[in-house]
Amino acid sequence: MVLLENDAFLTELTRLFQKCRTIGSVVITLKKYDGRTKPVPRKGHPETYEPADNKCLVRASDGKTRISTVVSSKEVIKFQMAYSNLLRAHMDGLKKKDKKSKSKKTKAT
Amino acid sequence: MPYYQTWEEFARAAEKLYLTDPMKVRVVLKYRHCDGNICMKVTDDAVCLQYKTDQAQDVKKIEKLHGKLMRLMVSKESHSGAMETD
Repeated sequence: MVLLENDAFLTELTRLFQKCRTIGSVVITLKKYDGRTKPVPRKGHPETYEPADNKCLVRASDGKTRISTVVSSKEVIKFQMAYSNLLRAHMDGLKKKDKKSKSKKTKAT
Repeated sequence: MPYYQTWEEFARAAEKLYLTDPMKVRVVLKYRHCDGNICMKVTDDAVCLQYKTDQAQDVKKIEKLHGKLMRLMVSKESHSGAMETD
């Protein structure tokens, strides 16, 4: 699992989407992260870690390559904007709603 | 593991599930360009909520919910029920 900076993660995510255009799936996982770098201690052992509350972990994979990044509250606005644009730009292989649209534009056949 | 039929119900249930235990919940998004569909899952390893779609109009909704949950995750102890006013 490769841990990257936010920008590098977005670049690699773009690459994953491009790789999987003909076959395969891109899986993105989002989870709240408290910043711990050591495993959870066993029962009876003191918890020596002070959890941070303002981070989340974003992972992406195409089945073979796995990348991840940590986003904190300071970076979330910038990351989320770039991330939304990325998703919208790449998830374009879906069916467009083709019912009678309310707009006056006529579709050229 | 039910697939929700309507986006509104799924979004509401997902947010509710996240707010009951933020540390346990994870959000998974699977996109298949070759099949032309997206599947979104929100789970705390006990309850699992899923939504599947092949409609382009749902991409925006999915991406918005993703962003919302991301912001909830990085915010410090903010209360649920705080609706976005903008």
